[in-house]
Amino acid sequence: MTFRTCLRAGAAALALVASGAANAEVTVLGWPGGPEEAALRAVTELYNARADLAEENKVELLFTSRDGFFDKLQVDLAAGSTAFDINLIATYSIGRYAPFMDPVTLSDQAGAVFGDTVLKTMQFDGQQYGVPTDLSLHFLYYRTDLIDALLADDAAKAKYSEIAMKHLGKAMEPKAPADWTWEDFVANALYFTQSINPESPTRYGTVIQAKNLLFNMMVFHSWPRSYGGNWMADTGAITVDSEAFRTALSQAKMLFDLGATPPDSTSYEYAEANAAYASGQVAAMVQWNAAAGELTAAQAATGTTAPPAGPDGRFTHIHGLGLGLNKAAENKDGAIAFLQWLSTEEAALAYAKAGGAPGLASETAAKLAADRPDLVQVGEYASTYGFVMNGGTSENALSVYEAQAKEFTGYWAGTQDLDTALKNTAAAMTDLLK
Amino acid sequence: MTPGRSVENALLAGPLVLFLLAVLGFPTVLSLVYGFSETGFQTLTAPEFSGLKNFRDVTADPTFWQAAWFSLRFGAITALLQCGLGLALAVYLAPLARAHGWTVAILIIPMIVAPAMMGLMYRLVLHEFAGPVPHYLYSWFGWSPSFLGPANVFKTVVVAETLQWTPFAFLLFLTAYQSIPQDLREAAAVDGTRPWRLFWKIELPLMMPTVFVALFIRFIDGFRVFDNIYTLVGAGPGGSTTSISIYIYETFLRRGEIGKALAAAILLFATAFVLLSVAQRLLRGRAP
Repeated sequence: MTFRTCLRAGAAALALVASGAANAEVTVLGWPGGPEEAALRAVTELYNARADLAEENKVELLFTSRDGFFDKLQVDLAAGSTAFDINLIATYSIGRYAPFMDPVTLSDQAGAVFGDTVLKTMQFDGQQYGVPTDLSLHFLYYRTDLIDALLADDAAKAKYSEIAMKHLGKAMEPKAPADWTWEDFVANALYFTQSINPESPTRYGTVIQAKNLLFNMMVFHSWPRSYGGNWMADTGAITVDSEAFRTALSQAKMLFDLGATPPDSTSYEYAEANAAYASGQVAAMVQWNAAAGELTAAQAATGTTAPPAGPDGRFTHIHGLGLGLNKAAENKDGAIAFLQWLSTEEAALAYAKAGGAPGLASETAAKLAADRPDLVQVGEYASTYGFVMNGGTSENALSVYEAQAKEFTGYWAGTQDLDTALKNTAAAMTDLLK
Repeated sequence: MTPGRSVENALLAGPLVLFLLAVLGFPTVLSLVYGFSETGFQTLTAPEFSGLKNFRDVTADPTFWQAAWFSLRFGAITALLQCGLGLALAVYLAPLARAHGWTVAILIIPMIVAPAMMGLMYRLVLHEFAGPVPHYLYSWFGWSPSFLGPANVFKTVVVAETLQWTPFAFLLFLTAYQSIPQDLREAAAVDGTRPWRLFWKIELPLMMPTVFVALFIRFIDGFRVFDNIYTLVGAGPGGSTTSISIYIYETFLRRGEIGKALAAAILLFATAFVLLSVAQRLLRGRAP
């Protein structure tokens, strides 16, 4: 027995141990917990109830813990696990998993149901690797009561202009959040910070979740993108060390230095940032669309709009969760049939009604306006403002986010200067995206 | 030893040896193979021998040295704090522990909590808006220290580690302190030795082997710290709270550089091995 055979045997043994409920006809490894699981269970039930479905093509679901989900999935796929036929993928991890997956052909309805921007979140090297099931993007959340009061008070407006002049060099006027540029966002954050404006009703003007964590870079990306920033040019050259990234990073750094975001926010991720906003001590923040329910429940006077604009327009990072085909699947035909059905309008509507958050084209989303009005907004923002950075689905996309998280948070926390942060990021990205 | 006894020994020890080979041997061999190979997730079953390349990559990586420096500082500071506090508590509370043994059980409760849970607990407790500590500090004193901000994060993780593991050092020192023969103390008292001198000249020297053991155990534990820091603040802004273990984890799973991660792990193992060997030698030299 060669060493290589030993390794294969070891990997197979690991896969066997991890297999659990691997006896289903078509086994789907889904995203555990939350609305995604509930929605997947609902559509699976619907699919399995079809009269024309053969017994051996019925779908069974497999869930593991969310903790380290993608790390575990990576090991399973690399080991050639047959424990599941269909597995979860995310936009930023498609390139990493693609060698262990097969591209899929979706139903003829897919283009009309999801739209091209959303379908693109599941593509790598020009091929479709999955059915988009849930879409994530960003909203600007703001306190309507505070903004309304500011807009109605001349003295407050004068104070706002004075603060903007002092810190941004411009006598800016307060505006409605739907019209904000990133400069307005910064000026507003400064105005609503008590250490700058002692009369502010909130302790902090904003909260930037700046833990050294890849997901936090996704939240930040809408900012440099609106200044024309991108990871790489069409020629493949890395373009992160650009004026766009410099401007966005510097503006954010100003908020850290002036205390407009909590000093602890360099350790914040999703939950901590939401807790800060929910406490009533933060005036506005950019956050994932998934936080809408939680933030609105905590602060009833909360409005949402698309993230602020820059000279190149208004943008929101989008990425999707989806389901794709394991290359080592034992029932490929059955799995392909399920994936094709999942990309039909019938499945997408059922998935949405059961609590999922698919990114739907406007015509499809309109059919859900009564049940899920939030999906209309998500669909509209995705198709109008959504973007995926060049290289954002590549094999090392996750590592690129990791590198940026390390360097950018270091700059914000003051452990290194901007030039060093961008130089290190560019070097890492050149290596990762070559 | 008779031949029959030898066979008997081999038969009895065989299952244990096989178990250890399977549980420890296979991962060790695999780590060594991958550590000297060009390996990623796509080539997991077909590693290509690359000699010392991974070791060169690791030692040329500034993040590795940043992590090593963090681990060294963290391990040394926490070991000294835990042993200093543990020793003081053991000596001070020895009469209480002797009279009411159950108090020891209360004092060692922090050790029972899983370090990852401890990290999560502090994440909640120290949060500026949801945590009780910042809440009351702000309500009572108008002061809102950012425990997890860049200026304080190192101190915070050191204090969290010290609070959790001082009971371990305390337990070791209490046992050592209580095992000092009582007649030595009585003889010193008869000679008119003052308590402070009794401690410095008699009790502490007798406890020194335990002090060394505690220092080394706590240093090694601090040096390889992972779970409580990772769940509390992750790798830190700019990698400022990246320990060697966090570096290995992130290199392996986040960046998929398996060979490089295992080369770092081998270096960590070698360092720990050398340190433990030195410690053992020192202890032998000090043995009465």
